[in-house]
Amino acid sequence: MLSDNRIKAPVQDGVVNQLVQASKVQDWDPSAMLDNLSFLEQKIHQLQDLVHLIIGRKGQVLGRPDELVVQQQQLVTADLTSIIVQLISTAGSLLPSGKHTLPAATPSLEQSGQFGGVVFPSAQGPLNDGFQPQNAGGSKVSGLPNSVDISRKNGNEQNHIIEEHELKDEEDVEEGESLIPGTYEILQLEKEEILAPHTHFCTICGKGFKRDANLRMHMRGHGDEYKTPGALAKPNKESGSEPTIIKRYSCPYTGCKRNKDHKKFQPLKTILCVKNHYKRTHCDKSYICSRCNTKKFSVIADLKTHEKHCGKDKWLCSCGTTFSRKDKLFGHIALFQGHTPAIPLEEAKAPAGPSDQGDGNQSTNKVGSMNFNFSSNVSSESEVQSSTDIKGSIDDPAGYFSPLSFDTCNFGGFHEFPRPPFDDSESSLAFLLSGSCNYPQKSED
Amino acid sequence: MPPFQSNKNILSLTEDLLVRIYEILVSESDRKSFRLACREFLRIDSLTRKHLRILRIEFLPVLLHKYPRLQSLDLSACPRIEDGVVSLLLSQVGPASNSLRFGNWTRGLKSLVLSRATGLRFSGLEMLARACPCLESVDVSYCCGFGDREAAALSFAVGLRELNMDKCLGLTDVGLAKIAVGCLKLEKLSLKWCMEITDLGVDLLCKKCVDLKFLDVSYLKVTNESLHSIASLLKLEALGLMACPLIDDVGLQFIERGCPLLKAIDVSRCQGLSSSGLMFVVRGHGNLLELNAGYCLSELSTALLHQIKNLKHLEVIRIDGARIPESSFQVISANCKSLVEIGVSKCVGVTNMGLMRLVSGCINLRVLNLTCCHSITDAAISAIANSCRNLVCLKLESCNMITEKGLCQLGSFCLLLEEIDLTDCCGVNDKGLEYLSRCSELSCLKLGLCSNISDKGLSYISSNCKKIHELDLYRCTGIGDDGLDSLSSGCKELKKLNLSYCNEVSDRGLGYIGRLEELCDLEMRALNKITGVGLESVAAGCKRLADLDLKHCEKVDDLGFWALAYYSRNLRQINLSYCAISDMALCLVMGNLTRLQEAKLVHLCNVTVEGFELALRACCIRIKKVKLLATLRFMLSAEILETLHARGCIIRWD
Repeated sequence: MLSDNRIKAPVQDGVVNQLVQASKVQDWDPSAMLDNLSFLEQKIHQLQDLVHLIIGRKGQVLGRPDELVVQQQQLVTADLTSIIVQLISTAGSLLPSGKHTLPAATPSLEQSGQFGGVVFPSAQGPLNDGFQPQNAGGSKVSGLPNSVDISRKNGNEQNHIIEEHELKDEEDVEEGESLIPGTYEILQLEKEEILAPHTHFCTICGKGFKRDANLRMHMRGHGDEYKTPGALAKPNKESGSEPTIIKRYSCPYTGCKRNKDHKKFQPLKTILCVKNHYKRTHCDKSYICSRCNTKKFSVIADLKTHEKHCGKDKWLCSCGTTFSRKDKLFGHIALFQGHTPAIPLEEAKAPAGPSDQGDGNQSTNKVGSMNFNFSSNVSSESEVQSSTDIKGSIDDPAGYFSPLSFDTCNFGGFHEFPRPPFDDSESSLAFLLSGSCNYPQKSED
Repeated sequence: MPPFQSNKNILSLTEDLLVRIYEILVSESDRKSFRLACREFLRIDSLTRKHLRILRIEFLPVLLHKYPRLQSLDLSACPRIEDGVVSLLLSQVGPASNSLRFGNWTRGLKSLVLSRATGLRFSGLEMLARACPCLESVDVSYCCGFGDREAAALSFAVGLRELNMDKCLGLTDVGLAKIAVGCLKLEKLSLKWCMEITDLGVDLLCKKCVDLKFLDVSYLKVTNESLHSIASLLKLEALGLMACPLIDDVGLQFIERGCPLLKAIDVSRCQGLSSSGLMFVVRGHGNLLELNAGYCLSELSTALLHQIKNLKHLEVIRIDGARIPESSFQVISANCKSLVEIGVSKCVGVTNMGLMRLVSGCINLRVLNLTCCHSITDAAISAIANSCRNLVCLKLESCNMITEKGLCQLGSFCLLLEEIDLTDCCGVNDKGLEYLSRCSELSCLKLGLCSNISDKGLSYISSNCKKIHELDLYRCTGIGDDGLDSLSSGCKELKKLNLSYCNEVSDRGLGYIGRLEELCDLEMRALNKITGVGLESVAAGCKRLADLDLKHCEKVDDLGFWALAYYSRNLRQINLSYCAISDMALCLVMGNLTRLQEAKLVHLCNVTVEGFELALRACCIRIKKVKLLATLRFMLSAEILETLHARGCIIRWD
């Protein structure tokens, strides 16, 4: 509930900003803007009252989870987000004229300060000085409409401060790309949000979506204003309502190199990067390959990629070492004197001549069926997986299925994942596997 | 001669002197006469013989026994070599055998030619590789079924220096790695058409076999990566990159900085290259001796020419298919004085003036390829003849403006000329051949499509050019039986003859052909006057006949084919398409000719499916390639097709 207060400040601050800017910019309709702002003011007051009400009641029924409270909380969130959205669109009406200054302004801190009250957290413009921490929060929301959850779920003040501090003191330039610290905005999603199934939320009803496009489609149901071509178009193609600010992300895990507190902080480029990074590095690897039973993954896409190759490309050296890739095997052979690649045994068994092919097919069929048996264990396997899955997300029972559904594979579809037909189709290529199985025999001759 | 010497016969010569005499004999037929002279000579022959090329596997055990000092064994002409035979040979005549007086035949063996040994597989190869400790050279080219297993077997020959694996289609990087790791002494390796090889394999090869002097990766789908690896070979002298579609100028840049000893490079038909790529190579290797860039340049640019002129030692240059500015010849002539061979076939811009300038400087030219340089005339030939007295080979196909005057100059000055291609030069006539016949060293003469020559012209050649080995009279419609009469009495050494579409030739002419005992390759398509009688005289006379093309000889009857089946026991390839052969005769031909390896049998209107079935059954253990009508595919029994396949026989369905 604290967060609600927090959020309001930046909103107001944003309004102040708008007003300040308004005096400078000529190409917009001040009366329309005024209408908007007064509407927003009204809304904010309503909200304030509501929150006051909640606070009052909370004192009475302290510590007891109340359904009503939850409902109201949701209401507040919805209202807040709608305010934010409207704020953005109001600010957006200023942007076409402001665009001229934007590219030139980016490198210069002073100039960007004028503009950056909204978007550049690092800005030290004279106008915004006193409001900076809040500014950062505001900018965060405006930069990423769907990251409303950040403020919804937890108190973020600490983060905001850290972020500010971080951005000011940061001197290390990222290795991968040479972005100067401060020229980009750093956002940090919370763990719950990273592991949440949806990334786009309806500002009115709170429904979550995996894709923004789906959200926009959904929004049509909330009124005619969402049916306009402008509202349905991709946000960044809209006439600059989304400023072209470079955004980078920080991992919420303290001590991680991808966390902004880290001395050699390397930001993550996209939300997807954040999600994958967080799952790969800071979550349990709960997906086990059903073929080899050894490889574990925390991102289901990784498992899928692995399963495509698992057992199929066994590149084998005469020393018994196996490689998943041919170039790795050849690198190994180049390095070690006397090592040679092992040749799959089927060829050796097959008599000279045409039966080569026939026998080859037979043996691969055998392998195929073997693989089939392998994967028939899958049902039990998936049980194991789901149990470990529970362990992995035990602290967040709500997000229990979420990692699955995030990867476009909801739990219902999970069963079809290690599907036997898949193995069948691979059987023609699976001969190498059996070759590696037979390897010990081969080495005898 | 003093009397006391005449008393002594030649046998009183010491053994080592006889050996020396024997070693002077080069031609196989001379050696045959030598060993047939007397027992002593036969003994000398068997003691000194180092090379053996056998035609029938059944004689191999005896021959191996007889020639204990064999260093080189050629089994490429032997259709029935297979794993079982190898194991038998190794156990009977090998170390386990007590019957062998001279010891183990494999002990001294250095070279093994197994080209087209499609019946052989990895187990046989492995036995051979393990049994021959001194093996240095192996040729398994055109063993299309060979792959990694066979390569692994070959890798047991650790002393291997030369290996030819052209068209071993199953060979992949894995097999190449086996060889690279096993045969570290490898100096010469040819991998043409081993299409599965990639950069990885080449890279490993270059890391392991650092002694490589010769490497041929023509036709492979390798990229610049491979060239990067190859550039690290410090001893490489010759590099074949013919028709590698994926390499480009960047790759040749690696070669510029690597391979310090490079002497010869072949980049012909590389589609991705331009002259700047060649400039890299030339710039990096001032001592280049051979540059083959045929059909890879659109134009010989001045920048490239500027680089080429620094190649003071260049001996061979081929830039076929390029546009050549006339001034280039002057530059080449003034700078590349040691040029021995120039190939400018199908080049645009080759003129009389250009050639005159060229030969004014390059007087050491021995080989000149001017195929399809349509604009040159007798003036150019005259200049060539006057300057290049050492000319050995001249190719003038489709140079229509050349007449007897040009040939007169050649006949007057180029007396060392051994090979001349006058195909489709309609200016060549009997008089021209008379002049040309003064080149008495001539061994290969191509007169295809020269319709203005007659028996008279051929008689000049026959009477003066006794050394002719190869004669092409394709569609020389003026040639008749009399010409063949003089040919058979003059050119006794003729080995290869093309009489296709010489419609005047009749059975009488073929009777003369039958006198050519050395003849081994005869093409006589569509001779519609000849019958079985003519074929009989050829079959009976030309005992060495190995390759016979009778396509469209529709009047030849079974009599001729029976004779063929009876006499031509050395026949290896035959084309009987469109012949009137019967079931019976076909079975006889295919069954009796025990050396037959390839047969083209399409459109045989008198042969039934049963006839084909029986004929194939009769030859299935030795035939390697057969061409049949596609409709037969479903009419022949599955067994015979399987058997053929199992024996490594390729069936081409027409």
